[in-house]
Amino acid sequence: MSETNDKDKAGHQLKWPSSKDDYELGEVIGVGATAIVHAALCLPRKERCAIKRINLEKWNTSMDELLKEIQAMRACNHENVVSYYTSFVVKDELWLVIRLLAGGSLLDIIKHRVKTEDCRTGVFDEATIATVLREVLKGLEYFHNNGQIHRDIKAGNILLGEDGTVQIADFGVSSWLATGGDLSRQKSRHTFVGTPCWMAPEVMEQVTGYDFKADIWSFGITAMELITGTAPYHKYPPMKVLMLTLQNDPPTLECVGDDKDQFKGYGKTIRKMISECLQKDPSKRPTASELLKHPFFRKAKDKRYLVQTLLSCAPTIEHRAQKLKHSKRNPGASGRLHRTETGDWVWSDGEGGSSGEELEAGIVGSGVGRGRGGVTAEELAARQEAISRANQSTSSSDSGTTGPPSLGIEISASPRPANGTVSENLSGIRGPVNPSLAAAGTAPTEVSTAALSVSGLASPVANQPVVELALRIRNGRKELNDIKFEFTREKDTSDGIAAELVGAGLVDGKDKVIVAANLQKLVDGTSNVKSLIFPLTTDFEAMPVPDQRTLMGFAQLSIVE
Amino acid sequence: MPLFGKSQKNPAELVKALRDSVQALEAGDRKAEKAQEDVSKNLNQMKTMLYGSPEQEPQTDMVISQLAQELYNSNLLLSLIESLQKIDFEGKKDVALIFNNILRRQIGQRFPTVEYILVKPQILFILIGGYEKQDIALNCGGMLRECARHESLAKVILYSEDFYKFFSYIESSSFDIASDAFSTFKELLTRHKVLSAEFLETSYEQVFSHYQALLNSDNYVTKRQSLKLLGELLLDRHNFNIMTKYISSADNLKLMMMMLRDRSRNIQFEAFHVFKVFVANPNKPRPILDILLRNRDKLVDFLTRFHTDRADDEQFNDEKAYLIRQIRELKPITDSPQSTPQHSANPPPQ
Repeated sequence: MSETNDKDKAGHQLKWPSSKDDYELGEVIGVGATAIVHAALCLPRKERCAIKRINLEKWNTSMDELLKEIQAMRACNHENVVSYYTSFVVKDELWLVIRLLAGGSLLDIIKHRVKTEDCRTGVFDEATIATVLREVLKGLEYFHNNGQIHRDIKAGNILLGEDGTVQIADFGVSSWLATGGDLSRQKSRHTFVGTPCWMAPEVMEQVTGYDFKADIWSFGITAMELITGTAPYHKYPPMKVLMLTLQNDPPTLECVGDDKDQFKGYGKTIRKMISECLQKDPSKRPTASELLKHPFFRKAKDKRYLVQTLLSCAPTIEHRAQKLKHSKRNPGASGRLHRTETGDWVWSDGEGGSSGEELEAGIVGSGVGRGRGGVTAEELAARQEAISRANQSTSSSDSGTTGPPSLGIEISASPRPANGTVSENLSGIRGPVNPSLAAAGTAPTEVSTAALSVSGLASPVANQPVVELALRIRNGRKELNDIKFEFTREKDTSDGIAAELVGAGLVDGKDKVIVAANLQKLVDGTSNVKSLIFPLTTDFEAMPVPDQRTLMGFAQLSIVE
Repeated sequence: MPLFGKSQKNPAELVKALRDSVQALEAGDRKAEKAQEDVSKNLNQMKTMLYGSPEQEPQTDMVISQLAQELYNSNLLLSLIESLQKIDFEGKKDVALIFNNILRRQIGQRFPTVEYILVKPQILFILIGGYEKQDIALNCGGMLRECARHESLAKVILYSEDFYKFFSYIESSSFDIASDAFSTFKELLTRHKVLSAEFLETSYEQVFSHYQALLNSDNYVTKRQSLKLLGELLLDRHNFNIMTKYISSADNLKLMMMMLRDRSRNIQFEAFHVFKVFVANPNKPRPILDILLRNRDKLVDFLTRFHTDRADDEQFNDEKAYLIRQIRELKPITDSPQSTPQHSANPPPQ
């Protein structure tokens, strides 16, 4: 029979429980439009796993589509297809428990490699590509024998385990060829799904319908992606991609490079393999089983080879599963900046060491400043945040304006200042303005109500001569940073610190006042909270929808204890 | 998938071999591992016989009809389903594929497998019970839905006590089982319009008292799905009598009014589609009218502000505008055109 994975063995042990309380959420490893993925710990099994939390209120397609995705996963038991454990409903979220693949996706690794090395002549060597793709093909072969089409094969959907395991993930768009995996009604599909750059021409045309062979096209595009780092027409908008794919001859390595010889290091067999996959007539493309016999895959090695070539070079995936990352979060941004006694801003990782070199590494964001085995401050914080959020979601109301006081989190209700005019007006004012009112804008009453509601708590902060603080904010590259600093009452002023943060390039000039205002609020202890989240004026290009939870367009200032 | 091309058994031999290996598996003696292997191998051959494989065409109708006959005579379908939990992962899927294929087999107007199952209805009840077992729930669900496509089999399920088990399966903590059970449940209540209308009418009390629990479920998905299905059921013209009955209950109206204000917008929206049926009823019974009249201003106000962002949903906006007008123009009930208003406590605002 076919290969089996740990699912069967696990079946004889404790079942994967279907209750939120049996899991402890860890760091966020992925964020999508309607879902967020955490690393997690299953408490009764004492086993790590990944949990995909799908917000069903935002899920606009029918619930049947979700069921199909899960049925597709449930019907798979193969080493190269992501292992599904269980799923259950928590409030208005669906939690999908799946195997944790700590290495991240191939796309993550490509991105990292492109950033840290010169990849002009190609990202991975042929042996690595053959090894990875052979595993992908085995997964695809299983898929297709099951009567399923994946429909979204690409580097971003190929995940790596720490041991070099390769699994195809994201069944989001995968579908049964025919309802219920009924092989006899196997005809073809007419739905338009997938990602344009990887999409086969017949899928785009929507005339003839399509079958398994659509995945083979995407597989060929993925092979090119592993060489060049991107899909052939990645620079173009979706409609243009459709046109180019339909009108042009299938892409080749020769035509995608800046010059013809750019990828000359890649031999004939891989080029041949790619061109066989990228034939416009689907019936001419080989099946997954046929491809496995292609001479190119004789170059394939074993899992351990991938551990060496793919996992070892990415500093984010050293050691244990705590070292997680995702395409949306740059690993190089982990760590923290803090101010030394001399007043300089210094970068360091979670180990607490600080030196000028580290500052440089951090600023460059090359990922060298990554922790050496310990959990970085950011990871810890993200973990806490995710956990408290998960807890919050069951204990607080929907409105999300105020968390339970015990968590010490107040979500500020202040609106975004319009066009930064407020900050410009105020930035000229020196001395002790009352920024908490100025920046809170129209919502001072809400602040005071919040203060009243927790007035039973003492406010020890107001008496401390020195307050330790951390500002969590995204930089220009949308990477999350924790900036730690001290506030000395005798010496510092809120706007002074804010100006310094701006001067150091850590905060955008437009956000100076809102940062100062919230800093003042915290050190005054007037609102009796230890942490404030507030909106920023900064409008990064192509910024996704502002989101308090992921701090997109928001920042969080906290007192560190 | 490895090929076992060499040993080409005929249908009778294959059925016998599979039956023997399933029996050995059931016996669970020392040779269990060998039995497991044999079961998988034979199932795979049978699947290939029916569906073909990349290397092999499906068998001719002659062979398949022979296979089907052997399956009925040996009661192998029943024993496969009884032993399903013991069969390995891929084997379980093969059982479902074989079962579904054989079930769809048609000779003229006849479905011989349906006739077979009508004689062995325990097959249906074993499949229903499969929802209690995590590792076979979805395999059983797939086979059950294939059965439910056939009116005569759906009828057996609907009129059995076991049908009410679905109400608890739908609330399973595991989402995959719960939602699979729900889709079978929905299939049973919506595929054969006349059958299900008859059933819902004769079993109205029992079904809707159970259904109430789904609507009040703490589980977001259960609540949302069952509310949506309720709307579909009530709006189906075949279910006119059921609708009339449902919308004459004041409790049902109150429940929908509560749900209009649910914290979930999706649930609010689904509730709207049930609520509208109460309002659009030209013959509102007094208790319903009383509630609507008592809340007239609030309802008008509420609906005016209800989901105003759905600007491009023309149908919804038309319906909403219609409901608002209907509610605004509600008149207290009069027993006959000449009699005096009964509800002087609630005079229409003028």
